[in-house]
Amino acid sequence: MTRAATPKLGAYAALAGTGLLTALVLGRPELAALAAPFAIVLAAGLSLAEPPRVRAWLELDRERQIEGEEVTAHLELAAESVVPGLELLLDLPGGVEPLGENPQRRHLDRDDRPEIELAFRCSHWGVYMVGDVLLRAQDRFGLLAFEQRLDLRQPLKIYPRGDELEKLLRPLETQTFAGTQTPRSRGEGIEFADLRPFVPGDRVRRVNWRATARRGEPWVNETHPERNADVVIFLDTFAEARLGASGTLDLAVQAAGSLVAHYIREKDRVGLVAFGGILNWLTVSSGVVQLYRVLDSLLDAEIFLSYAWKNIDILPPRTLPPHALVLAISPLLDERTVRALADLRARGFDLAVVEVSPVPFAEPGTGALDDLAYRLWVLRRDALRASYLRLGVPVVEWRKGMPLQAALEEVRTFRRHARVVRA
Amino acid sequence: MAGALVAAAVVRAGGHDVLLLVIGAAAIAAIAAGLVLRWSGGLAVGIALLGAQQAMRLALGPDALDEATPLVAGALLLAAELAWWSIEPRIPAWAQPGVAVRRVLTVFCTCVAATVVSAVVVVAAGARVGGGTLLLLTGVVAATAALGVIASVARRSP
Repeated sequence: MTRAATPKLGAYAALAGTGLLTALVLGRPELAALAAPFAIVLAAGLSLAEPPRVRAWLELDRERQIEGEEVTAHLELAAESVVPGLELLLDLPGGVEPLGENPQRRHLDRDDRPEIELAFRCSHWGVYMVGDVLLRAQDRFGLLAFEQRLDLRQPLKIYPRGDELEKLLRPLETQTFAGTQTPRSRGEGIEFADLRPFVPGDRVRRVNWRATARRGEPWVNETHPERNADVVIFLDTFAEARLGASGTLDLAVQAAGSLVAHYIREKDRVGLVAFGGILNWLTVSSGVVQLYRVLDSLLDAEIFLSYAWKNIDILPPRTLPPHALVLAISPLLDERTVRALADLRARGFDLAVVEVSPVPFAEPGTGALDDLAYRLWVLRRDALRASYLRLGVPVVEWRKGMPLQAALEEVRTFRRHARVVRA
Repeated sequence: MAGALVAAAVVRAGGHDVLLLVIGAAAIAAIAAGLVLRWSGGLAVGIALLGAQQAMRLALGPDALDEATPLVAGALLLAAELAWWSIEPRIPAWAQPGVAVRRVLTVFCTCVAATVVSAVVVVAAGARVGGGTLLLLTGVVAATAALGVIASVARRSP
């Protein structure tokens, strides 16, 4: 607990001393009587002042929360001395906004144990340490100021809030495990696929009696099995465009979080590759544990400036399983990401690119030359998208404010038409 | 409060009204500057000038002991307390009901106690005691000790 004199202490000491000296010089005891109260306040204040003895405990009602939701911190104080006016501040990190009364001013009697609830809103995804408590108090006469910072920090993970998606992008090939996808192959399932003549070994319940009656010989239904899929979210962390408090990385992380949650809910296996200055990956897996693993990995996503050339060869082999859908979310600003995605397509991966458009985050300059440069830059981006489309990679420009579902629908439309063209 | 002190000093003075008014006006101006600019030095100068006005009134007035001094002392302390309370850092903080009330009661009790102490000093001054170098020295030591408080407690302690 630090202690410091307030300006009032110096002023009172000066007034008391000056008054007493003046009384001696002028020989008027009334001046001593005028100065005496200041001296008495000084003496009483300094002799009675004691550092406030306050202990505190803090607990958050949640360790994890979603963007936009609220968390409550429960702070318990234990006063071992009287504190006339204790100022209490929960110093929150950026990305977390206080709701309600923060700071607060309280009077604590000896042995008081008040419990204080401080609510705050999780405004931005990330991992935060919450619990920096600042206590400030003065003595009864305002002559000394005491201050103490308590480190009661606890981790709080705020997950990105993504869009609700009704239909997901489906890979061209499925895997062998049970899921909710309808593959092109035939097998035991519910989804009707085709009719064929009965062969010994077919189950009687599969007989299509209407077709059998029409043709005069037994015909059976064929179905598609339900299979799961492997999906790898490819997040570009080489570069981002940022304007103010938001940037393309924020949008990318929100989209990635939303996609991961929906794919895992559909019992698909999901993996993550954060391709950037710091390479981070998670091999595909399913279940709630994988969901939180991926979301925690997304919270660590940040732009790390690096000039080292990287390509997909540095990724471990199991990171990109065969027949997996690779969903790349990238602003396509860095050449390394552009080349890596083209490389993935060349190696036969099922690739789709959601371009988090940096155009809204780049304001054109004021001069004619700046305007020309801006328009050229936009044209170059259109050319880049066209080159991907020529490779057969669906690329959709996704801007802030546009639903992610709309972007996925564009990709789905491209893949549907592409399939017809190849046939 | 400061204005009332200035006016009372001018009214109770037996002359030299202009001089006392000038000092009083300077005191009020300094206090006003201190309040507006949240400047502790201004308040200290203003309160000191209020005291100087009293000193001038006493120096130019009769030699008889002024029996209203305890009331003036209490009022001066009240003005000082309210002035420094006004310039305390204002943070938008929710305050528990009663915190301000307790502070007001503390200030009021302090001023009452100060008036009593001042009255004791005036009574003691009215008693017949011999002067002398020892008494003068004691007074100088007491005055200097008050100034020495700044150096001993102004430093921050860990």
